[in-house]
Amino acid sequence: MARSIWKGPFIDSYLLKKAETVRGSGRNDVIKTWSRRSTILPQFVGLTFGVHNGQKFIPVLVTENMVGHKFGEFSPTRTYYGHTADRKVRRS
Amino acid sequence: MNEKNMKFIDRERICVGVITGVHGLKGLVRIKPFTDIPESVSAYGPVEIEDGSRTLEIEVANRTGKGQIAARVLGVNDRNEAETLKGQHLYIKRGQLPSTDLDEFYFADIIGLSVVNNNGDSLGEVLAVHDYGAGAVLECLDKKGVPLMVPFTKEAVPKIDLNNKFILVEEKFFEAFEI
Repeated sequence: MARSIWKGPFIDSYLLKKAETVRGSGRNDVIKTWSRRSTILPQFVGLTFGVHNGQKFIPVLVTENMVGHKFGEFSPTRTYYGHTADRKVRRS
Repeated sequence: MNEKNMKFIDRERICVGVITGVHGLKGLVRIKPFTDIPESVSAYGPVEIEDGSRTLEIEVANRTGKGQIAARVLGVNDRNEAETLKGQHLYIKRGQLPSTDLDEFYFADIIGLSVVNNNGDSLGEVLAVHDYGAGAVLECLDKKGVPLMVPFTKEAVPKIDLNNKFILVEEKFFEAFEI
């Protein structure tokens, strides 16, 4: 069941404070967080978070189409390596 | 993991699949592809087996179950002959892969590169490349053997030197993801 709209998106207040501090400073520091349950808000776009997956921090560079999702969705707790063969990666 | 993965990547050759069995009576083989698109196993030209003693020309016939493909090997016309190829890993030469666009890299080129900072000091090596939907991420192994994730952006990784086999990582990003 979806969350009621009247409640607004859930976010841990300490994460919101951290993000506001970093945005205010103008430095693009990595924000380490364990709060996987927090919703990605529009004001986070462009910031880099380190989202803990239980073992390590996974870099999450927030873009517009990630708004509304939770941080944990971008930091999987299980790692699959697989084969690489002809796979390519683009540097953003 | 690293050793397991590195077995299939060396600087000269790249493993594109493995022959897992035979298909039918006419000499078709079943291949488990390791490429992005299964049919690409045959797209880069002839492949060679692990010890390099034999080169095979492959023609993809159709897809079978479990993500595998059925393929015809040129010169192999019956099931018994096809069975001798079972278990063979198929390799292509690195040069057979098409060139990439600007700022685009093959995983095989990136994995295994050493990671250095601005002073040229070694920080570790690249273990794997991931993409979890929030931008590409390099998994690096630091000197203590602890895995660290670094975003694969121009800001964090300003220089990639494939000839000298190193990537330059801004140290603040390397430290930012330390546990």
